Amino acid sequence: MTETGPRLLTSLPEAFDEGPAWFRTLRERAAGSLRDHGLPTKKTEAWRFTPVRSIVDGSFDREDDGLPRVTSPLPDGVTVRSLRDVLAEEPSLLEDRLGRTPVDHFGALNTSLFTDGLWIHVAASVAAGSVIELDHGFAGSAPSSPTVRYPRVLVTLEPGSQATLIETYGGDRPGSLTNSVMEVDLGSNALLHHVRIHEQNGLQVGYVDVRQDRDSRYHSVVATLGGALLRFDVRVHLEAPGAQCQLDGAYFVDGSDHVDHHTLVEHKAPHCRSAQTYRGIASGRGTAVFDGIVVVHRDAQKTEAHQENRNLLLSETATVHTKPHLEIDADDVVCSHGATVGSLDHDQLFYLRARGIPEDMARAILTYAFIEAVVDRVSDPATRERLREAVLARIPEGEAIRGVT
Amino acid sequence: MLKIENLHVEVEGKPILRGIDLEINAGEVHAIMGPNGSGKSTLAYVLAGREGYEVTEGQVLYKGQDLIELAPEARAAEGVFLGFQYPVAIPGVSNIYFLKAALNAIRKHRGQDPLDAIDFMKLSKEKAALVQLSDDLTKRSVNDGFSGGEKKRNEIFQMAMLEPSLAVLDETDSGLDIDALKVVAEGVNALRGPERAMLVITHYQRLLDHIVPDVVHVLIDGRIVRTGNKDLARQLEADGYAEVRGGMQP
Repeated sequence: MTETGPRLLTSLPEAFDEGPAWFRTLRERAAGSLRDHGLPTKKTEAWRFTPVRSIVDGSFDREDDGLPRVTSPLPDGVTVRSLRDVLAEEPSLLEDRLGRTPVDHFGALNTSLFTDGLWIHVAASVAAGSVIELDHGFAGSAPSSPTVRYPRVLVTLEPGSQATLIETYGGDRPGSLTNSVMEVDLGSNALLHHVRIHEQNGLQVGYVDVRQDRDSRYHSVVATLGGALLRFDVRVHLEAPGAQCQLDGAYFVDGSDHVDHHTLVEHKAPHCRSAQTYRGIASGRGTAVFDGIVVVHRDAQKTEAHQENRNLLLSETATVHTKPHLEIDADDVVCSHGATVGSLDHDQLFYLRARGIPEDMARAILTYAFIEAVVDRVSDPATRERLREAVLARIPEGEAIRGVT
Repeated sequence: MLKIENLHVEVEGKPILRGIDLEINAGEVHAIMGPNGSGKSTLAYVLAGREGYEVTEGQVLYKGQDLIELAPEARAAEGVFLGFQYPVAIPGVSNIYFLKAALNAIRKHRGQDPLDAIDFMKLSKEKAALVQLSDDLTKRSVNDGFSGGEKKRNEIFQMAMLEPSLAVLDETDSGLDIDALKVVAEGVNALRGPERAMLVITHYQRLLDHIVPDVVHVLIDGRIVRTGNKDLARQLEADGYAEVRGGMQP
């Protein structure tokens, strides 16, 4: 930490005196790591492309607990409790669950500073079809100066349970920061469909950290449709044989947006599978980043891991950085990765126009088709339709093709 | 219908067409034959409006208006259709919805109301039957995973749906076995009519046994070197292009 240090760290307390001992230790460690190492800068490799200065040097008022609102009726067997309450009343329930995976930088900041959070618990009996919706929109009217909030959510799926979790980040709060952490714990044979829709105009730094037990499945679809500056890290730990994860994403940048998706999949056990498909569209002066790492540990034989990132550049002033990579320490694995950055295909464009489709519409059709591959992966029909509408609204001339695709 | 006068076309600065004169009237089917590299596909692309083909001299009049001035979609709306030699696959865009967008864009251009879903489906079923295109293929992504024959049948299906005034069919026979060739040819023949002109481009005479042309032109090195009736095609098949080329003026 430099002499003056990032402004954001000035709110770190000297000592933590609330909650059980293990929780205080967790926070002290997180705060200590921040005091020792500070927040990332341009020189931090994993933050090389992220304009992180606008965040760490920003001046923010603390807003509220940043608790997302549950907007769907809770299915039987699903409970949502305040983390603060559970920490006060039954702290032992959280000891092995909260903060189990160390999260660096902004993850540590959230761990140090969150005041309350949600614990979403899905009992073993809960079956397919149960949908939980979380709304991360801002409550109340916009304050006069930028604010910061630290949403914290813990999601526990007991063995054999199934659920769909839909998170929406909406609203307009330019210059305000949302620094979120979600921890997801999947018991053996559990299945979670996780959809995130980002349409928030503001600064966002978020983590989703997933731990998977034997034969569990995690499917994540993220759609980033807006956001002045967004940096999201998804980390999946495949810790027992047979666990599978699928990470899909669609992102758009225009104006001067910066959207930054990082993924890390740790294959720690044999016979696990992971697949990633991220597709992005960059126009205006926007910047999109995809950085994906798959680590196959020495014991993770029979791993299957695939990673694909494709980008469509719609303007000469937009920028895309893509960096899928693999680190493999096992020898009996099937892995692939690939990335492309290109423009709309001239032959396809001409084919559509030669059939009478006006150029703007032809471009919209091809642009939508490019991203639809990701939209189609959302299994819940209502959510898929909602996402489709949101994507069409985001595509130049998307209105024109509403009844067509 | 179509009047091409002294048409010169360059691709990347290289002259490909060197003075084509060609007139096609409504109701006529003309064939253009020629060896590889003679400029056949260039002529097709120039008529459809593909980028990268520069007209350096001459003109193309279609129904009395300058065709070269028009954007590809405007040509299609005015009734020009190109059957592609290599129809491109468009994953993620359904064949039937693409065609609906095309048909309704053309109808809009003509001041007609869009076809509703029911009328459109009825029409597409009827036209798909013409070239024995299965329901499955009409609904799949455009040409995605289609065999060579399926792609060509899809082209004729689209032509049947869009009902052009001038159809340019670029090597519609390439990649087809004899059975598929017959299906495609029957589809084309069903679309012949007194209001419609066709320009059939082919390398081989084989197609012209099934789509019998009124006029046959031989295109070599960017020029039409011979024009005749359907017997000219047979003669070419027997003697080869070398014979015609040998007879050309230096």
